[in-house]
Amino acid sequence: MNSAGIDIGSISTKAAIMNDGVLMGTKVIFTGYNAEMAGKKVLDTVLAELNLPPESIDLVVATGYGRKSMASADKIITEISCHAAGARYLNPRVRSIIDIGGQDSKAILIDENGSVIDFVMNDKCAAGTGRFLEVMAGALEVDLDKFGEISLRAESPSKISSLCTVFAESEVISLISKGESRENIIAGIHESICGRISAMTHRIGIKPPVMMTGGVAKNIGVVRALERIIGTPIEVSMYAQENGAIGAAFLAQNLAAV
Amino acid sequence: MTHMDILEELKRHPYEYARKYKSERGRPIVGYFCSYTPEELIFAADTLPFRLFGTGEHIRLADTHLQAYCCSLVKGALEDAMTGRLDFLDGVVFPHTCDTIQRLSDIWRLNLPLGFHMDVVLPVKLNALSSRRYMIDVLMEFRRNLENAFRKKITDEALLDSLNTYNRIRLLLQKIHDLKYEYPGVIAGEDLHSIMMASMIMDRSELADVLERIAGDLESRKNTSPSPPGERIVLSGGSCNLLDIYGIVEEAGAAVVGDDFCTGSRYYEGLLTIDMNPVEAIAERYLTRNVCPAKHSGLSTRADNIISVVRERKAGGVVFVLLKFCDPHAFDYPSLKGALDQEGIPSTLIEIEDQSSADGRVKTRLEAFIEMLKRKDRKEGELSGAGK
Repeated sequence: MNSAGIDIGSISTKAAIMNDGVLMGTKVIFTGYNAEMAGKKVLDTVLAELNLPPESIDLVVATGYGRKSMASADKIITEISCHAAGARYLNPRVRSIIDIGGQDSKAILIDENGSVIDFVMNDKCAAGTGRFLEVMAGALEVDLDKFGEISLRAESPSKISSLCTVFAESEVISLISKGESRENIIAGIHESICGRISAMTHRIGIKPPVMMTGGVAKNIGVVRALERIIGTPIEVSMYAQENGAIGAAFLAQNLAAV
Repeated sequence: MTHMDILEELKRHPYEYARKYKSERGRPIVGYFCSYTPEELIFAADTLPFRLFGTGEHIRLADTHLQAYCCSLVKGALEDAMTGRLDFLDGVVFPHTCDTIQRLSDIWRLNLPLGFHMDVVLPVKLNALSSRRYMIDVLMEFRRNLENAFRKKITDEALLDSLNTYNRIRLLLQKIHDLKYEYPGVIAGEDLHSIMMASMIMDRSELADVLERIAGDLESRKNTSPSPPGERIVLSGGSCNLLDIYGIVEEAGAAVVGDDFCTGSRYYEGLLTIDMNPVEAIAERYLTRNVCPAKHSGLSTRADNIISVVRERKAGGVVFVLLKFCDPHAFDYPSLKGALDQEGIPSTLIEIEDQSSADGRVKTRLEAFIEMLKRKDRKEGELSGAGK
């Protein structure tokens, strides 16, 4: 039985294909303006790469902020449930998930069966999200992919006090003009995000083992800073960014089994 | 037009209703803000109590006086007043609730020539020895102020009539909510919202008749109403500007089966005792009714009440609705959530500002919460099935 999970996020759209409970492949593309097109395109691309004809897919589950625009989906499930399911597939021992995506961040508490017990979302502003990092990468003229390793070389992280992306950007610009090193500024940006995330995790009282998912999990600087602040090791799977899509495909497998 | 159509029209155009009412009946209209305004006295003075919600228009003038941390109710009402949309008002009553409403009263007094202006400063602690005496004194003063402002004596007879009308309205609202909460399919959440909004605006005698018909209609079709969606939700918190939360929750796939809103159950619960001094009867109701976070009647009374509503209505969880920047509700939230956690009652929090802010993000949260409750239900079902 083949299933597809499509996670249409604000910045990127992810697809995962599963066969009889085993992950076959994943794909990530930019979402762009048209969420529905992005969903279609990512599915076509991953199927082409796996040499699978579209009709071989028995069930499609869509998730992410653009989930409702995916008209061809058999079922729509929120990203909260999908991230829980994805983490359950990748590592059944995980009890908490911290997901930092493009436009929101969330903390999810799950039980031993992979069911969501509690969750909290920050969706009020861009601070504490992937978008925050993108804005800062622009201001610092540094490739976002390099943020993680650069920040690990910081001697003393700068203090970025502002909670607002726009104001934080002007703080960063004054730090640049003061001659502060990129390393310290980027490390400071990571600390600022992690402060917000840790406040969120305290609201639901997260339990180890903790897994981090979403595009920002690829930034080793954020992961290390968060580990330090919340005081527990954080697991990051190689599929961190595709975790929601994998969860959607995994839930589709279970739906078919019912 | 059906009775529901009348109320819906009123919800859509409350200010047009007020203007027409005033020109046709020649009765003064008194604006007010919260359920701690003793409406019964306003109605007994032969004036129409008209609750202000703000219309959610763009804020252009109000921000001159208000800071960014004021809620959308206060901003919206001041904007409406400053742009002249509330020019039909003959006066406004500001009950002492939160800081923002108190400051609004001063800003209003200094900047808006809208007639009768009155702060009703009821006690904050309702369980102190002096609360009752204090409450009665404030209410008696309010009665005298109304009499002077509108040059009309409020007789005990008129007041008793008013109390009876309010008892009738509150009993009917209670009945309509009980029917809705027991048979969620009997009336759409959106219609319940129209009923509540109209109840705080419409001529109260006419309202009582309309509610009576609606309650009768619902009673007659309760057994043939469509079966409700699976997850039963209790709403808590505050939406003092009365957003259509019922509609939003139903759209996300759950049924509202209880609430502790001041625009919901706290508006209609508790009847006025008729065989006592009428002013004391109003005080008595305020002293015994469930409190809002701007009042105090014991450390755990609000939590105890929500838990008992959840149990009584067999609800699966609680959705806290906070109007953005409402600090009294925000301060209460962590302890209420803690109390629910201890009882094993799942809850979630949504924060909204106006109807349009109830967008995809709020819906995602509600849908995720409902998915969580469904899964919990299923698991508990399997467990109890396995035990047999």
